[in-house]
Amino acid sequence: MSPYMAKIVGQEDFVYVWTLGMPGVGDEQDKLVTVDVNPRSGTYGQVVDVHSVGGRNEAHHSGFTDDRRYLWASGLDTSRIFIFDVHSDPAKPRLHKTIDDFVAQSGGVVGPHTSYALPGRMLITGLSNNRDHGGRTGMVEYTNGGDYVRTHWMPIDGDLRGAAKGGRFADGYGYDVRVLPRRNLMVTSSFTGWNNYMMDLGQMMADAEAMKRFGNTVIVWDLHARQPKKVLDVPGAPLEIRCAWGASHDYCFTSTALTSEIWLIYEDEDGEWQAKAVADIGDASKIPLPVDISIGADDQVLWVNTWNDGKTRLYDISDPHAPKQMLEQQIGEQVNMVSQSWDGKRLYFTSSLLSNWDKKAGEADLQYFKLYTWDGEALKHRFTLDFIAEGLGAPHQMRFGAYALYGLSPPVKVAQR
Amino acid sequence: MAGLGWFAASLSWAGEAPHAHPKPQVLAPGYGPLEFEPPLPGSYALPPLGDAADGDVLDSRGRATKLHELLDGRIVVLSFIYTTCSDINGCPLATHVLRGVQDRLLDAPSLDGQVRLISLSFDPERDTPPVLARYGGYFKAPGFDWRFLTTRSQAELAPMLDAYGQWVIRDPEQGALSHLLRVYLIDREGSIRNIYSVSFLHADTLLNDIRTLLMEAQASS
Repeated sequence: MSPYMAKIVGQEDFVYVWTLGMPGVGDEQDKLVTVDVNPRSGTYGQVVDVHSVGGRNEAHHSGFTDDRRYLWASGLDTSRIFIFDVHSDPAKPRLHKTIDDFVAQSGGVVGPHTSYALPGRMLITGLSNNRDHGGRTGMVEYTNGGDYVRTHWMPIDGDLRGAAKGGRFADGYGYDVRVLPRRNLMVTSSFTGWNNYMMDLGQMMADAEAMKRFGNTVIVWDLHARQPKKVLDVPGAPLEIRCAWGASHDYCFTSTALTSEIWLIYEDEDGEWQAKAVADIGDASKIPLPVDISIGADDQVLWVNTWNDGKTRLYDISDPHAPKQMLEQQIGEQVNMVSQSWDGKRLYFTSSLLSNWDKKAGEADLQYFKLYTWDGEALKHRFTLDFIAEGLGAPHQMRFGAYALYGLSPPVKVAQR
Repeated sequence: MAGLGWFAASLSWAGEAPHAHPKPQVLAPGYGPLEFEPPLPGSYALPPLGDAADGDVLDSRGRATKLHELLDGRIVVLSFIYTTCSDINGCPLATHVLRGVQDRLLDAPSLDGQVRLISLSFDPERDTPPVLARYGGYFKAPGFDWRFLTTRSQAELAPMLDAYGQWVIRDPEQGALSHLLRVYLIDREGSIRNIYSVSFLHADTLLNDIRTLLMEAQASS
């Protein structure tokens, strides 16, 4: 979540789930699924709206504009971006605009991933490019209205764009982005290109050359100038980035998919930004495959999901340089995204990673949306929506909605006789 | 959250974490010294973010004019405010930072006459021209080009807010306002070149952005 954005610090009313269409499931299209999660509502725990977008795009991530009126949801395969109006009726998002020319406008960036709110504009990270569909990529800025502004290519060996190389790698790959505005810091991570993320997982794992084509870098940027300052070695595909919230907490976390570690991005005593591995996530030799992470609002805990073993782990990060695992719990056959309420008491989980990487239908507990509650000691299951049984597909990114964000009240129900 | 109790209990707009036990509010970065070395003016680009919209406004003497009449070849810093806003990290922050820009411009005679500050109220009912004249008197240095504007009505105001993407929520019962703080940097051609919100707004970076636009204009002339 962007620090520029309004936050729901009470009970969220809805979770918007950006969902991949699956062949043989419902209308087979990508869709924005709205789940009612307010226990005071008569439709609590139910899907209250489904907005299909007319095809499959490899639906993946989504993010709100800074005023939280619009939700940008993108497709990694088609590079289309769907902009939903979520403020006119938070219970029923409406497709407001579609960006179909992302690749052409950006000058060849492919695979829009993170949609990150900056003041009055959106910053979209890419995963790939249209020349070789490898991992070299860039970030693309749009106005909140959806007009293209500019492209920032990631620094790479031979074209470091003024950045210093902190280690061995400068691969030009991209994935996620976060900022610490008071320190003028922007941080990006690195995954892999279209050739890999659209390939069958088993085929890719058996392809030694393909397995070399993963990102090994985190880049720190001058946020104001959008100028890359330093390329840090973080081997093994650092994915999600979460920066601390506290006013004096100048650090961010990421986790590495292939090497199964938590890494800290921090400022050293000399004022230099550095990266170091601070904890292991499970047994790296078993490839647990860390995916989404979620930091608590008080910067005391970090939830870490591992997709391959379907587990979530909770780390005490009160000392960010030495996270300690507090909990390990099975969530499903596979688990990908985790989102927590601002008070940290409710945790939502979804299952899907990528359409060609997901485990295959037939296995139990495969594609789901689940709510758990956390009381500081136990993670308790509250409800599950089976997204295959519901005819929806493979759920990925979750974003929270609330009537109060827009000065609205929930509709009053008239008692029926 | 700009100024309101009515849904402050459940939402936060300001960027700092609310806590179960009240703590002193963390002031926005714009109130303190900049915590980083900013990039040098002219060393970075500020690409256009769209045209600054026009609209009917009233100045602090009650004279009607068009907003575009005030975008007359100067660089403009435009801030949407309302004078009864009580959230320290809301409108007071914007006005504090604009005053900081004013102070820095007064110390830079070479920039004399090149920049105009505009504070435009989005509360026309309460912020009448005399109210704004009084409010402006607290902040504006004598002779400095800082305009305090309002509108005749919500009907005149609404299209402007919409065009600038300045989202304001009104509590219909109490009349309270909630908004996402926005300040706009507008170049001599009337193009929006930067947008600042609470975590980003600081007089030093704003002044550097102004200098960047002036250097760009010099280079092209």
